[in-house]
Amino acid sequence: MDYLAEKYLRPRKIPSTACSGCGLGVIQKALVKAIDELGYGVSDIIWGTSIGCAGRQTFATWKGDGFAGTHGRVYAIARGLRLAIPPEKKLVFTVGDGDAFGIGFNHLLHAARTNTQMTIAVCDNLGYQSTGGQFGWTTPSGVKTDSSPYGMFEPNWVRDDMDVLHILREAGATFLARHVSMDGPRLEATFKKALQNNGFSLVHVIYPCTTNFGNNALGTRRAVDIFRWIKERAAPLGEEREGVIWKTGIYYDASNSRPEFSELMREKVGEIHRRYQNEGAS
Amino acid sequence: MKRYLETGNFAITQGAIIAGCRGFFGYPITPATEIAEAMSRLLPQVGGYYVQTEDETAAMHLAVGAALGGMKTMTATSGPGYILYADPYGWAIGCEIPLVVLNSQRVGPVSGITGAPGQGEFYLTRYPTQGGNFETIVLAPNSAQEAFFLTVEAFYLSERFRTPVTILADQLITDGWEDISIPETDEEKEAMGLRFAERKVHPGPEFYPPTDEIDLPPVVLGHNTGALCSDWTPTEEGYDIETVEAQHKHAYRLIYKIRNHMDLISRYETLFLDDDPEIIAVSFGTPSRVVKTAVKKAREKGVKVGMVRPITLWPFPDDLFNKKAIYLSVELNYDGQLVREVQRAAPCDSEVHFFGKCGELPTVAELHDLFDKLLKGEPLKRQGWETEAW
Ligand code: SF4
Repeated sequence: MDYLAEKYLRPRKIPSTACSGCGLGVIQKALVKAIDELGYGVSDIIWGTSIGCAGRQTFATWKGDGFAGTHGRVYAIARGLRLAIPPEKKLVFTVGDGDAFGIGFNHLLHAARTNTQMTIAVCDNLGYQSTGGQFGWTTPSGVKTDSSPYGMFEPNWVRDDMDVLHILREAGATFLARHVSMDGPRLEATFKKALQNNGFSLVHVIYPCTTNFGNNALGTRRAVDIFRWIKERAAPLGEEREGVIWKTGIYYDASNSRPEFSELMREKVGEIHRRYQNEGAS
Repeated sequence: MKRYLETGNFAITQGAIIAGCRGFFGYPITPATEIAEAMSRLLPQVGGYYVQTEDETAAMHLAVGAALGGMKTMTATSGPGYILYADPYGWAIGCEIPLVVLNSQRVGPVSGITGAPGQGEFYLTRYPTQGGNFETIVLAPNSAQEAFFLTVEAFYLSERFRTPVTILADQLITDGWEDISIPETDEEKEAMGLRFAERKVHPGPEFYPPTDEIDLPPVVLGHNTGALCSDWTPTEEGYDIETVEAQHKHAYRLIYKIRNHMDLISRYETLFLDDDPEIIAVSFGTPSRVVKTAVKKAREKGVKVGMVRPITLWPFPDDLFNKKAIYLSVELNYDGQLVREVQRAAPCDSEVHFFGKCGELPTVAELHDLFDKLLKGEPLKRQGWETEAW
């Protein structure tokens, strides 16, 4: 990580503030590597984060401009921000599952509807872990957490018949993928594609929380056990087997197929503005 | 100068555009919808953006987001929407992002009466978000013309103080039709006392210095300054930190950058304060127009009454209440809000009374009757319940 860290990250934030063994850093590394391979510099990207482990631990790690929004609202903030910043800047977000699929879901849907450029890495630790470990909207069925002591029996949003990525696709997202943090080069390749979409890209990545999820759900904080537990339940799309929860790979790629929100706004407003400059006010 | 017979809503949009607003983010709500409608028509003509959002929380987040990108922005709503602004309002206060928010009050609680004026959000605008440790700037017009003026002023103050500024209007101000003059030339703008401040970009790296100074540029993203902002307590560079020392510095700046520059913010109107008033009627917004008439007419009859109308509601102008008198706060609510601040600010040996109506204005006759009773030392009886209660 040395080369990447030196080029893209703030020394003050190294080492990361995440717990040791946490899988969050692996996702961020894959994302930064994808950014590097695409040839983007620090000033090409504004990095946004939110609340929860994914937000707090990645905030201000990026060497360039960055912000942490209110819980679940970065997708709304982004739609305003995009109108004001130079159009060539890219927004990259690291957020949590609670942020994207819970409190922020309404804004997420409208960001998808408008196809606003943002590459969102939903770093999914399978519940609310920074508050000690409560269930969330992707917590696997039967899993015990501090707020599902009898096992998670509410339906979650990662099922064949009820997948949050399907909802987002219907809502207008132009790039959607799912991975686990152990996917390595496949995850990087997906991030590269996501970043090249001038529109709404979301990559859902399950990662191991060693501190709370591991302890509550699996009864261990041993990183290897939790890594294995997730890995056993993941398989590439098309290679599914019994017991697989997370099918990994690109779910939908309609990159650059329809206008990006701020581009559309700039074009329409530009037209009207020119007309009124030529004709004078009505 | 161009004259119009138009609504307060129209006046507000004109003020915003003259002040350089190029982004308006809204969600339809009576009685502020017409501002959104007018902005959707006018802003593109000057190269600005109107975006209608999924809810008010989003509206203000978009407004803050665009402001964080360097744009002058605004949003407008009524009580039920203003409460949904709480989340982004706090973020904008904490990150010190300039923008303008308009609240046209109707009758509450909740949706209440949509098409009638109220004044239930006097305190809500002081505490528009949770957590405390900040000061707010709130301006209250009592006419369409003044709404125009204060919209321009709100943009000016928001830039200099790096903070959201709320214009607290009411349904009669935004919906009412009045004679409005809009200046066109620089001379006309200056003659009207309009003030303007351009957006600057903080070069970093110390975005949050421990100082009460104003005129520091705000954080702007997208200029490669290494700008950082977040909802957490910031270090001077903007990193998140959890120490009381850092929090103290942060809160100090948020409170005292405003409190220590009251001369730039304070506006008010007074009548007969230097002419030994026995009663001082206090009000803001639309009811203050009836109060003013009542006070003038009472004076003609020799009643020793005066008036205070705070235009800047927050920070509250304590200095306007240093005379010993019988104070009467006239408000468009039944619970009594402004009156509590009057009691706090007035000399201890003053009497402080409250007269509240909601959804309709007090009448001159009602106010004269109240003046009469106060001078005789009689309790303020009213229909529906026995005495004033707040
Ligand atoms: S609580 Fe879990 S997800 Fe959060 S930083 Fe620690 S290990 Fe990572």
